[in-house]
Amino acid sequence: MHTWKQIRDREFGNLRPHRFSNRIKSRRLSDLQLSNHKDFLSPHKGALNSLQVDLTEGRYLLSAAADASVAVFDVQRPTEHEAGGLISKHRCLFVVDKQHQLAHKYAVSSAVWYPVDTGLFITGSFDHHINVWDTNTTQVVVNFKMPGKVYRTAMSPLATSHMLVAAATEDVQVRLCDVASGAFAHTLSGHRDGVMSVEWSTSSEWVLMTGGCDGAIRFWDIRRAGCFLVLDQSRTQLGRRPSVLKRSTVNKESNFKSSSAGQTTSAKLRVAQKKLPNGNGSRQVVVGRAPAKGPIKQRLHPGMLSTQDRATAHYGAVTGLKVTDDGSDSRLRLWDIESGCDTLVNFETVRLQTNKPIQLATSQDSTRVFVPCMRTVKAFDMWSGSTSATFRGHYECVNSCWFNEQDQELYTGGSDRQILVWSPPRLISDEMEEGIAEDQDSWSN
Amino acid sequence: MSIWNYVVTAHKPTNVTHSRVGNFTSPQDLNLIIAKCTRIEIHLLTPQGLQPMLDVPIYGRIATLELFRSHGEAQDFLFIATERYKFCVLQWDSETSELVTRAMGDVSDRIGRATDNGQIGIIDPDCRLIGLHLYDGLFKVIPFDNRGQLKEAFNIRLEELQVLDIKFLYGCSKPTIVVLYQDNKDARHAKTYEVSLKDKDFVEGPWSQNNLDNGADLLIPVPPPLCGVLIIGEETIVYCSANAFKAIPIRPSITKAYGRVDPDGSRYLLGDHTGLLSLLVITHEKEKVTGLKIEPLGETSIASTISYLDNAFVYIGSSYGDSQLIKLNQQPDAKGSYVEVLERYVNLGPIVDFCVVDLERQGQGQVVTCSGAYKDGSLRVVRNGIGINEQASVELQGIKGMWSLRSSTDDLFDTFLVVSFISETRILAMNLEDELEETEIEGFCSQVTSSSVRLVSSTTRELRNEWHAPSGYSINVATANATQVLLATGGGHLVYLEIGDGILQEIKHAQLEYEISCLDINPIGENPNHSHLAAVGMWTDISVRIFSLPELNLITKEPLGGEIIPRSVLLCAFEGISYLLCALGDGHLLNFLLNTSTGELTDRKKVSLGTQPITLRTFSSKNTTHVFAASDRPTVIYSSNKKLLYSNVNLKEVSHMCPFNSAAFPDSLAIAKEGELTIGTIDDIQKLHIRSIPLGEHARRICHQEQSRTFAICSLKYIPSAEEPETHFVRLLDDQTFEFISTYPLDTYEYGCFIISCSFSDDSNVYYCVGTAYVLPEENEPSKGRILVFAVEDGKLQLIAEKETKGAVYCLNAFNGKLLAAINQKIQLYKWVLRDDGTHELQSECGHHGHILALYVQTRGDFIVVGDLMKSISLLIYKHEEGAIEERARDYNANWMSAVEILDDDIYLGAENSFNLFTVRKNSEGATDEERGRLEVVGEYHLGEFINRFRHGSLVMRLPDSEVGQIPTVIFGTINGVIGVIASLPHDQYVFLEKLQSSLRKVIKGVGGLSHEQWRSFSNDKKTVEARNFLDGDLIESFLDLNRSKMDEVSQAVGVSVEELCKRVEELTRLH
Repeated sequence: MHTWKQIRDREFGNLRPHRFSNRIKSRRLSDLQLSNHKDFLSPHKGALNSLQVDLTEGRYLLSAAADASVAVFDVQRPTEHEAGGLISKHRCLFVVDKQHQLAHKYAVSSAVWYPVDTGLFITGSFDHHINVWDTNTTQVVVNFKMPGKVYRTAMSPLATSHMLVAAATEDVQVRLCDVASGAFAHTLSGHRDGVMSVEWSTSSEWVLMTGGCDGAIRFWDIRRAGCFLVLDQSRTQLGRRPSVLKRSTVNKESNFKSSSAGQTTSAKLRVAQKKLPNGNGSRQVVVGRAPAKGPIKQRLHPGMLSTQDRATAHYGAVTGLKVTDDGSDSRLRLWDIESGCDTLVNFETVRLQTNKPIQLATSQDSTRVFVPCMRTVKAFDMWSGSTSATFRGHYECVNSCWFNEQDQELYTGGSDRQILVWSPPRLISDEMEEGIAEDQDSWSN
Repeated sequence: MSIWNYVVTAHKPTNVTHSRVGNFTSPQDLNLIIAKCTRIEIHLLTPQGLQPMLDVPIYGRIATLELFRSHGEAQDFLFIATERYKFCVLQWDSETSELVTRAMGDVSDRIGRATDNGQIGIIDPDCRLIGLHLYDGLFKVIPFDNRGQLKEAFNIRLEELQVLDIKFLYGCSKPTIVVLYQDNKDARHAKTYEVSLKDKDFVEGPWSQNNLDNGADLLIPVPPPLCGVLIIGEETIVYCSANAFKAIPIRPSITKAYGRVDPDGSRYLLGDHTGLLSLLVITHEKEKVTGLKIEPLGETSIASTISYLDNAFVYIGSSYGDSQLIKLNQQPDAKGSYVEVLERYVNLGPIVDFCVVDLERQGQGQVVTCSGAYKDGSLRVVRNGIGINEQASVELQGIKGMWSLRSSTDDLFDTFLVVSFISETRILAMNLEDELEETEIEGFCSQVTSSSVRLVSSTTRELRNEWHAPSGYSINVATANATQVLLATGGGHLVYLEIGDGILQEIKHAQLEYEISCLDINPIGENPNHSHLAAVGMWTDISVRIFSLPELNLITKEPLGGEIIPRSVLLCAFEGISYLLCALGDGHLLNFLLNTSTGELTDRKKVSLGTQPITLRTFSSKNTTHVFAASDRPTVIYSSNKKLLYSNVNLKEVSHMCPFNSAAFPDSLAIAKEGELTIGTIDDIQKLHIRSIPLGEHARRICHQEQSRTFAICSLKYIPSAEEPETHFVRLLDDQTFEFISTYPLDTYEYGCFIISCSFSDDSNVYYCVGTAYVLPEENEPSKGRILVFAVEDGKLQLIAEKETKGAVYCLNAFNGKLLAAINQKIQLYKWVLRDDGTHELQSECGHHGHILALYVQTRGDFIVVGDLMKSISLLIYKHEEGAIEERARDYNANWMSAVEILDDDIYLGAENSFNLFTVRKNSEGATDEERGRLEVVGEYHLGEFINRFRHGSLVMRLPDSEVGQIPTVIFGTINGVIGVIASLPHDQYVFLEKLQSSLRKVIKGVGGLSHEQWRSFSNDKKTVEARNFLDGDLIESFLDLNRSKMDEVSQAVGVSVEELCKRVEELTRLH
């Protein structure tokens, strides 16, 4: 529907404000294209591995690259303008690269903001270290030595009672690093191969999800030993209402997408959410919010050591999980977290990079999932699995993407060292030049 | 203004969102319960009509409202759920006539996506459970136990994500819902589920129906014996049950509301989007449905809710027009309509735009709103004042004066009304039928003619005595009280008479140097029958003098200055303080403090009440003295807290007035208007008076032009059958008659967006500038629009210039003699350039990009404040030297804006999509660029109303001598028809009131146990934080309605006496 009419309808109460904003957002989401008005000037000299906008203000983009550099951009306020104010250029506010004495030695695989404010960020690197940085001074305040390459780090956006960084590394164990004390809090054992992806639940600060190179996706309640749920690709009974399970709150399934690529290699998992939770910072939502809760946990725990434990979500490594997850069998799977079932949404053929973790993104209303597919990024409809858009712009493989909910912009980082911005188009018209002749271009936009 | 703001409602919401009928207040009473978004009203049905019983605020926006009856109960309970996920069950306490909370709770879930189509709340007809659909994919169940108490709620997963409606079916052994939903491919289906309370899950229901009408939007469950459901679409109506399916085609329409007529559910009233009311009949033989029939009944306001009351009386609640009480007649009227409108209930909503004008230039704003939508669109003139409730009126031309008389001095009531005309005096009296008729008296108490003063007995009605003016002089002015007469004749003679026992006695005579224009000897001392002072207004030297009585010694002479003679003087006392009021011929009023012992006049103040000569008269109402100033803007003057206050009377011109307290019309006033004599009572408080100007089309923008005395509006008309159903106009209206005097139709697909009146540098003319957009069906966002510049010439709109733009012109502002337009994402400045041929054109000067959509723009000096579609407020500055507009600062929050206003140089006010208000402050002293570039959020508040417009101005008269007059205010208008006021308080007052507010929160409990603190906390989908730097004036002013013991409680908590609190709160009520 026409934006103008929507504004008019909102004005006289014919369109609920909440619905109005959802409609505008989804319109903008479906209009994404390579931005004609916003550029990030990447200071990185290696492949971009990780992108994240802070969860508090939605203003600072943290990028990490294979040249061991980490940079921060202001996504709202450009550093300079071009073309008479039409194109805004965003230079990084600062970069930490090999020049910096505390910089990582090898590729930075993951960089995440401290969820509570932008005063800290956490980087994980192939040099086996996790560093916690003070943003203002760009000094390392805490440092953890891990047993292998770090693939991914995550902090819970909900946590009020802990400050744990969950680390997915080459090692089979998932480690929780306590930023407050500087020590390891827990190790979670269960995966049979390296762990490529890790995400915290968006419904419980105690629940962690990990995806390993062994193809398993495991759910952990960090207050208890062992994992309480392993996603099983052979369980697909959705649709039928399982009358036994009590569902606690909400939700529907959360999704996982899994993709599998060939067989091995690494995978990274990330969870995407499906419904949007309330807050802003909720990028990762939920996969299952419900699953974490009581009934399921209790039922599953005792049996955990038996066969259930061997279940695999994918035939390959799980490379991305965003309360949705993603395996390296070149498949994206959407999982219902409550029941632990694969929803069998058939994501149209995707070809995924399988040798490194990839970072998926979802839109907040969970209608879209953005998946790096080699040199492109594909946007899939979450529920039908059909491709709604393919973003072509990178010259080499895309490793990470981040959807900026506040502005409905997608940021993608690739091995070509670029960060590209995909945004709803802006009508570009320069009224200054218009003399007598009207500029036809603006019409066709 | 300041960051400490006080928000108060001047006009309550009138948009009716829900209505239900049931036995709520007692098993015998039939009640109509009406929800107006944040208020509920309870009415009782009586043979005389609807009688209001209760009107209370709800601390939440009402999402659902249902009446239900638990097992074994004789009367109904009320279930309310709010948009912020609170619910409560209310019961009527007949002893205290209050609402009692039976249950309350929170039904929010931590995670979940709020439904797009609004919340659904339904109650099982057998009262086994309450069902709520609040988040996509979830159905929340609150079960009842056997005793009708609510048990713990749980969620059931609902596979259908795009739910349009859910209802409970009647007559099912297990509670069963029917869900109307849309699938991924936009097809619509209905499906049933049984709720298994034991398993806390759904079980497949008895039937489902796929591929319904694409516009199917509404379900109507049909009670026993049929127990099916009606599915109302845009082109068909379907009856569905496990074993029946009937469909009929209907005229394409969108059904907005329904009301069940018969308890057995065989007839329903349907109201559509055009305001057509239809009757839907299910014909059936016992339990077998044989067919459906639909019949149009007639036109009503566009209904948002329909409640069939009884005996063919129906309540139509409306969001887009006035709500109505109608009667359905057996036979159609001449126009074929069965609908007879018995009563209309004013609804200002939705207020899409408004302007504040002072048409009479008297320092008091009146608000002219663009209200209503579609065919119910109207302009409403909202004005604060004292109302006269007309009791009787007669046509009488040329009234020159009026007095009321009693049959005898000890009579309680006035019997006679003496009306004088140029050449005669007539006496009207109440007859036995309580009608006013003319009677004859030979004379009466004291009558002054041009040549003599006559004293007439009130009992015998005989002439008792007469005093003759010296020959050659005629009596010009005279005044009297019970014992004294003071008169002035030509030549400056002032004569003082005293009335003895049937005798008129000349006591004193004085010769003044000039002619006397007016006199008064109203007693203000201890003796109510005798005055020892006389006030005299003079021609020539334009002064007012005080004489002592009976000596007629000049005590004080006060020159008035200027050239306007005093036309009426009055001595009066309010709250023990004596004043001299002196009205001038040009509508100004001077008031002085009068020292009654020395006759000294001090503390002179001047106010403007109108433009015509004023006549002053005292009257009393509720045992206090008031003064009525009759003129072209009649005003009542009274005093409160030892301050003089002025209130407009909601009448046009009044020439004379006198109190007339008769048996039939107690406490009334007789008022002489042009060609008419009216008797009526006067409101004891001032309130808003609303005049409706129905347009028959939807007005969206309005502005006033002082110079041409016109309003211009952007409006649209819907013609549902046409290919392009909307036609947009720019219309010019006379600001007195509100008649269309000129119309400029816009192009096809061209929609009017904004209108202002402005002038440009180097051009003395005043223009209307209109911004438009071409809304083409194939585009998502307008890529073309126009700015049209009109002049008003001979009452016609003349197009002077036009400028094509590259997008919709969402907003226009006059800016430094230029025109500032918001065009899609750009702010563009145009200058007004004189061409060689003598015509003018708009030429772009500079612009600023960087918004998503710049929807709302306000300017002050060189500063430009932009409210963006979704990126909150940003501050731009125009740099003259460079001829450029640059961004200075912005608020980085993601607020979706609905209106902005500039409070002062540094503080800006915004309203956003989730019904919140906030203020931001410019930080020009910030140490870093980052700090200076950020607008700091300084105030946050949940209003619970969607604001479309802010305007500076006031609804009350701003008088220089009142403290309230110094408080700057902003008026806002909302979708629900609320007119509100935001007042910026000094800090100490804010601190005091904040303390009062927090004490009141403890004393005044929210209906249904809802928390005021939570209700006012700023909340959108990103965050919820406590309100700060805003106060809820509605709560604070409700202090005045508390009983004494509660007032004491508050007074103790605050540490200020009740009297002082009352005084300070009353002061605030005068802001609106």
